This record gives sequence, structure tokens and C-alpha cells, in this order.
Amino acid sequence: MAPRTRLPVPYAFAVAYLLAPAIAQAYIGPGAGFAFAGSLAVMVAAFALAIGTILLWPFTFIIRTIRVGNPYKRAQARRVIVMGLDGMDPGLTTKFLREGKLPNLQKLAEKGVFRALDTSNPSMSPVAWSTFATGVDPSRHGIFDFITRDPCTYAPILSSTDIKNAERVLNIGKYIVPLGKPKIELLQKSEAFWKVLGEKHIPSIIQRVPITFPPVKFRGLLLSGMCVPDLRGSQGTFSFFSTANNEGKAAFTGGEQTVLRRKGNVIRSRIVGPDNSMVRDGGRMTLPFTLTVGKDKVDISIDGGESFELKHRTYSEWIHLSFKAAPGVYVAGIARFYLSSVEPDVNLYMTPIHIDPESPAMPISHPEVYSVYLAKRFGPFATLGLAEDTWALNERVIDEGAFFDQAMAFCDEREKLFFDAVAHTREGLVTTVFDTTDRVQHMFYRYLDPTHPANRDKEATAYADAIPRVYAHMDAMIGKLLAEVGDDAVVMVMSDHGFTNFRRGVNLNTWLFREGYLALKDGHTVSGDWFEHVDWSRTQAFSMGLTGLFINRKGREKEGIVADAEYPALVKELCAKLEALVDPENGKPAIRKAVAAFEAFDGPYVFEAPDVLVGYEGGYRHSWTCATGSVTTEVFEDNTKSWSGDHCVDPSIVPGVFFCNRKIAVEKPHIQDIPFSILSLFGHTPPKQMQGRMLFAAPGQEGTVGGPLDPRSLPQSGSAPGALIFPEGADA
Amino acid sequence: MGLFNRICTAIFDVLLAPFGHGRPWFDLVLWPLVGGILALLVIKAVSNQAGITRAKNFIQVHLLEVVLFRDDLRTVLPATVKSLGYNVLYLGYNIVPMVIMFVPMTAILVQLVSNYAYAPLPVGSTALVVAKLDADVGGVTPADVKLDLPEGVSLDAPPVRTPDGEVAWRLRLDAPGDHVLTLHAGAATETKTLAVGGEPRKVSVLRTKSWEALLYPAEAVPSAESPFEEISIQARKDQAMPFFPDGESGILGWFFGVSLLAGFLLKDLFGVTL
Repeated sequence: MAPRTRLPVPYAFAVAYLLAPAIAQAYIGPGAGFAFAGSLAVMVAAFALAIGTILLWPFTFIIRTIRVGNPYKRAQARRVIVMGLDGMDPGLTTKFLREGKLPNLQKLAEKGVFRALDTSNPSMSPVAWSTFATGVDPSRHGIFDFITRDPCTYAPILSSTDIKNAERVLNIGKYIVPLGKPKIELLQKSEAFWKVLGEKHIPSIIQRVPITFPPVKFRGLLLSGMCVPDLRGSQGTFSFFSTANNEGKAAFTGGEQTVLRRKGNVIRSRIVGPDNSMVRDGGRMTLPFTLTVGKDKVDISIDGGESFELKHRTYSEWIHLSFKAAPGVYVAGIARFYLSSVEPDVNLYMTPIHIDPESPAMPISHPEVYSVYLAKRFGPFATLGLAEDTWALNERVIDEGAFFDQAMAFCDEREKLFFDAVAHTREGLVTTVFDTTDRVQHMFYRYLDPTHPANRDKEATAYADAIPRVYAHMDAMIGKLLAEVGDDAVVMVMSDHGFTNFRRGVNLNTWLFREGYLALKDGHTVSGDWFEHVDWSRTQAFSMGLTGLFINRKGREKEGIVADAEYPALVKELCAKLEALVDPENGKPAIRKAVAAFEAFDGPYVFEAPDVLVGYEGGYRHSWTCATGSVTTEVFEDNTKSWSGDHCVDPSIVPGVFFCNRKIAVEKPHIQDIPFSILSLFGHTPPKQMQGRMLFAAPGQEGTVGGPLDPRSLPQSGSAPGALIFPEGADA
Repeated sequence: MGLFNRICTAIFDVLLAPFGHGRPWFDLVLWPLVGGILALLVIKAVSNQAGITRAKNFIQVHLLEVVLFRDDLRTVLPATVKSLGYNVLYLGYNIVPMVIMFVPMTAILVQLVSNYAYAPLPVGSTALVVAKLDADVGGVTPADVKLDLPEGVSLDAPPVRTPDGEVAWRLRLDAPGDHVLTLHAGAATETKTLAVGGEPRKVSVLRTKSWEALLYPAEAVPSAESPFEEISIQARKDQAMPFFPDGESGILGWFFGVSLLAGFLLKDLFGVTL
């Protein structure tokens, strides 16, 4: 007989929790409440997800079977892994193989095949990887360069992505509330082959393949690569904080400087973030911080954010930066800091602010939670398309050591993501692109060439092993991959292009001006960036980007003057003259081949292509000033920047590499053969628009092309002495 | 136990006095809020914040793994098990702060229940009073137990005595007031207050020797030699907050909800990971 209500007893806490959670938790207090509320939610979510998945699995299996049958019915392989090593050069690879530095690639070549991989024209990453993704040439996928010109304004625009703000907004006082998402469009045409695989219910995980931003929906997972912007919307803007310059802010290419004012050991400054589009005339959002100078270190405390110690010549971990756009609205980014000096001046470098993969301000993966998953599993990682900060080294804000450390740190991050994808793909496709090989070769190629112009004012020996180190690092990763996947998987290691020297820059805008094809406004003999003083009403041709030359066509360019009838002859005339262009320094031609787009391509987007594709000889490239639309006093100039190797030359000079653990049936593979072959390996007929060939032998037959590459077949045009496979006197 | 109750009651009688029983909402907002903040401070001070962050993170990782790789049961099942495993780990990280918070949180909650969960019984109604004898003391049987009624309270029915040592009386409550019932068992005497009518005020529904005295601190704990193990009175539950159940479960639910909400809203301010 117990007429009153008794309270639950603490020793029965666990039972009471299950039977009457509110009462039990309340008696332990809110601390327990926090724990149990969260845990209960997790348990419910986990069980719901698991049970839902298990219950739905038979239905999805039946639906899949009805729609596509067994997706692997005619497959020669159920698992394909493509490891893309951007810019890996067949010549350097061969050299390092002969030196015994790449034992795993050696095994791969001996077991399967190693060949040079013909690349796209132009031979640059956005173009070549688009061809890889779609299996078609540039006139069919529409990507001809990193940038192109806006025909309405002649201003540079990204070739791959168009970003527009939300169309409808709500104005509340000074705030602008977007009613919808910004419109981000991938301009690459045609269809990625992993989308075709998805339609056949073959899963894919695609990581960091260039020109995959914004991510396109498909049945699989994708993490975007090259062309993902930083939080400021640029392709990478670093920050440099220094007490050295007292004249105010200074601009760099690819970055900006903030002058620090020191009061004793304390410095107050601010990190400049993205534009605040939620506030009318909001300007850039900023994040104040305090820097306290110590002995060989600084302490940095970001207002309302993280505090950390940074030692001399070390990088911080990824630091979370949260910019307040409006009450309750924050934009998240991540950056790493590097302290290059403490005394006499504090010099602090900050990477571009990457989109935080755990809280992405823009979609950088498909589905959007994929980047969240990766960030939670492995911690923050670089998301910027061109993550390795080449401009910071080019502008000497950081030195070679800092750049190399940064590049290798990003490489390590991607290695984790890659092996997670491999572990999760028992059947299907994994493709991951590593940029490290490309960036390190761009920035350290001068070490292979003792007489490189870029060596004049810089040390030229300390990082002579940087390129072989990166190749060896990737080789070790390949060894790990081969050990993990066994023989069942088809493993391909490939690059989009190779590398060569970049000693001399050619300003084709200056050449066009001298030859009378490009006119400047009266009184001008030179022009600033982006055709500042160009008189379009008298200009027939101009150059923008890294290999292209555009005709100022009537009906296409806003102020076009070249009629359709004149167009073919003008293009042919320019091609002939360009191929005759001689470097006065050595009397040799600078351009191997200038190609008319209308002759080279027949796809639907040829009208958008540069009208002439300039294929330089090794050692040459568009000069830095040409790429930005300037007209200068000299056509030829020495390249003195740290960016000393390149591949924007005639594609025949810079093929990529193709390794596979299976023999193939084609002697000279082309990059567009790879997607065609992967679809075929999975037993599916490639779509009609694909231009490639099947690299592998028919089912049940052994490929006839295998083993290592014959090094004598490789072009060595313009290669630095340190890159030559057969240095003078050596036995081939 | 008795000393602890006296100290807590004395403190809370002062703390709860400003607004009194006429406006219980003030105390019922303030004290859960204090409880939430106290919990945050304790969690920050004694919990393994890095461990909690890591455990939560891996719970999310494996739940996302289930979502992302839902077509692959060989991934889904281990991921589910791992998420539950990390859930257990997460609970483990919360045990120390839970134990530390148990005493102050219980003290606060008990005082709130004691003050606001029950209302005086209405004049004219009947009430059941139950006395339970302590078998360990012995020497007294239910037949030996007598009840002296104060003025304003009368016996509605003869007492019921059970073989297991309980005696129950049904009383008629004729007049308002804090009546004192006197119970005799042999030479021993105990009292029990009985609140009838009038303004809302602290109501004691149980006097007991057991550990439950911690939960009913309004009256003194009977001495160890007392033949009475406990004396209880039928409670009239009060609804302290709208939309919440009456009695202690309403206060419990309210306290739980508000303190939880306060904790979640203020966790970033206090730099605490929950």
C-alpha cells in the first residue's frame, strides 16, 4: 500500500533511463541530459539508418536488376583504380626508373605496361582532364584553357565555371537576404564517364579531378578539384602580414600584403575575408587578430576564434576562420599560417582561405555531405583547386622549403582521402588526381637546369632533389596501393601531360602589335594588363590565356572587325608567321606548330575555341605579360620566376604517362582512350560521342603491348640537362 | 542526511523567498538555467573535452558512412556498429561530470519539487495517512499505533492495520491550516504535518528514515530509534508550469528541458563541447 508518488531511485538509474528517460535524466541533471539526449538521437539515427538501409536494400537490388540487370555481367574488371599524377613526365619517370628510384612503378611496368600517353591540344590540365572525364576532344567539351575572353568585353573569364549571385533577394534595411542559392554552373560540355557508369549502377568515387567544380549530380561520390575557388571567390589569394613595409598595403600577383604595426611585442591586425554580399556596400568581411611576438615564435589569437603558437619556419595546422556576414550568419573557411621570420621583421604568410570542407560555403562535393564526411574522418584538408600556392613562391613571399612542405602536406591529405576511397570501393571505380607532381615540377624545374634564367638571383642547389623526391613519394604510394588491392583490380597510373623547361617567355600580343595585327590607341606603344590600351576597332588578333590566339571576329567579338570571308586566310597567315618566329637569342624557332582550330577540331564548340593554338618548342611559353593581355617592349624575355617548368607547348613534346597492371593492345595510347576503356572494362558500350579506343585486349585475350617504355621514343625538346634521360656521354 | 537536508532547505528557503510561492515561474526558470550553466562549468572542468569531440566526430563519421555507402551492406553494418560503439564511449566520457553534478543537481531539483510540486489539500476533502513501522526496531505492532488528531481534522473511517506493519487512516479535513498529526507507538511519538487549504506553500508528503529522505527534505528525518520507518500523506499534485504534467514529473520535465536548452544555447559561449 503506497498512496504517494515515489521518486525514481538513483541506483536504478540505468533501467529508469530506458523506461522513463526524462525523469531519470533530470535527477542526474542536465549534464546527463546532454549526453543522453545526444546518445539517444545517435542510437535512433543509427538504427533507423541501418534498418532502413537493410530493409531497402532488397528493393534497390530488385530495381537495379530490373533496370540494368547485373551491371558486371560482361565486365572484364569489377574494380578499376585510376591514380592521376598531374604532370608526371615520361622522360623524368624513365630517368628515375633507370636510377632505381621508382621500384613500384618499375614493377608495374614489368608486370603490365608503361607507355607515353598522348595528350590533348592544348596540353594543359583543364583541357586534358576534361578530355579524360568526357572522352572527347576540346571542341566537344568546350574547355580550351584556364581562362577565355568574354567576347562582349574582352575581359578574362574562367573557362570552366560561371558563378552568379542568387537572382531574387529580400532587402531588409541594410541586409540583403538571398532567396535561393547562387547559381554555379559547370561550363564543361559533354558527359563525364563516371556519370555513365552511375547510370549502369556501377559506383564511382572521383576525387580532385580538375574541372569538376561545381560537382555534377550522379550516382557516386565526387570531390571537386582544380577550379574550386577560395573563400574570396578567386583562384587563390594569399595574405602576407609584415612589419617590413611602412608604405601601406602592397599587392602581389596572387596575393596581398598587410602592413603590421608593432607596439612592443603586440601587433593587432585583421584577416581579410570574402565580400559580404548580405550587407549593402558591406565590403570585405574581416577577422581581427592579435599577434604576440616571442623568441623565435609568435602567438596568434583570432578574435572569437582559435589561438595558437607558431614557431619560426613552421606551418600551423589548419585554422578555422569564421566570418560574420549578418547576425547568426557565418561563412567558414580554413587557412594555414607560416612564420617566415620573427626578427628584425615579423613576416607571416597565410594561405588562401580554403572553403571549409566540413562547412562548405559552396558545394565542393557530391553529395554535399561527402566533403563533410572526409573532413570529419581525416580533419580539415585543402579544398582550393590550385591549392599549392605557386604564386606565393613566385612572388618570393615564401621560399622553396615552405612551398615544398606545403605541397607535401597537401599530398599527404589527399593520400588519406584516396585510400579511404579505395577501401570503400570493392566494386566500381576510384579516380583520384594528385597535383603535387605538377606543382613541384613547375616550381623546381630550374634545379634541373644550372643555366636557367630563374636561377640568377636565387640559390640553385638546395632543392635539386625536390622533383625526384616527389616522384619517389608517389611511387611509394603506388606500392602501398598495389599491396592493398591485389591483382583483381585494374590499376592505372596516368598523367595528363608531361613537363619541359620554361626558360623564355614569348609575348604574342607584342608580336601581333609589331606585325600590325593588334593596334593600340593613339600615343601608346605598350599596354597594361587585359588590353588596357588596345584599339579594338583596328585589332585583328589578340592573345589571351596560355596557348591561344583569338581573331577579333565580326559577329562573335563585340567590336570584331574580321569578316567570315577573311577569317580562314588570316588564320593561316598567322600560323605560318608564328611557325617562322625565331628567338633572336639563339636564332632557333620558338614555335613548333601553330594550329588553326577550324582545321584541328570538328566539334560543336569549335566556334568558342582560340582560333590559333600555339604549340611552342620546349623551353618556350607565353610570357607572363602575354598571359595577362599586356603589350610590352620585347617579344622575347627570360623567365626569371620560380615557376620555371611548364607544359604549355606543342603537345607532342609533353605526353603524359600511362602505367597499368595489365598489358594493353595499343602501342600509342591517348588520354581520351582511358574513359572509353574503363567503360569497356566494366562491360558497357561507351556512348557514341566518345572518341577513344579500347586499350585492352578483348575478353579472354592477353594484351600484346607491355613492359617498360622505350626511352628513345620520347621527345626531349627543350629538356633541362638534369631532365635528359641520356646525358651526353652516357650509354643509352 | 538530516544535516544535509537542513542545510539545503535553509539555503533554499532564503534563495526561493524573494518571489515566494505566488510566482513559481521565476524560480522554475532561474534554477534550471543555473543548473544548465553549472553543468557546463563542471563538464568543461572535469570532462575529457577532446575525447568527447573525438567521439562525437566519429559517431558522425560512421553515420555519414552509412548514408554515403548505403548500397554496400558490408560498409553499412560495421559503420552502424562503430557509431554505436563511439556512442558508448561518448557516454563514458560523460560519467565523471554526471557523478559530480549528481549532488548539486539533485539538491536543486528536490528543493524545487518540495516547494512547487504539491498543493495543500482542500478543506472538506479526505486524505489518507499511512504509517509504516520499522521492523528492525521491533517491540511495536500495528495494534500499538495510535493517532492524535488536531482540531480541524477528524477520522473519516476506522484505521486499517496490515500484517506487514502498516497502518492507514482516512481523515476528513474540516479546517484550513498546517495541522500537526501526532502518532504514538508504545512510548515513542512522531509528528507529521498536514497542509490543508490556504495559499500555495511548501508541502511535505513524506517523513522517512530511508535514503528517500534526501528527496523529501521538508520535515526532519525520524531518529534511528523511532519505531516508525516512514509516515506519508496522500499528495495533491500542483501544476507549476502550463503544458507540463502536475506534480514532480512536471517539474522534472521542465527542469530537464530548460536546463538542457540553456546548456545547448550557452555551450559556445562557455566554450564547451557537449
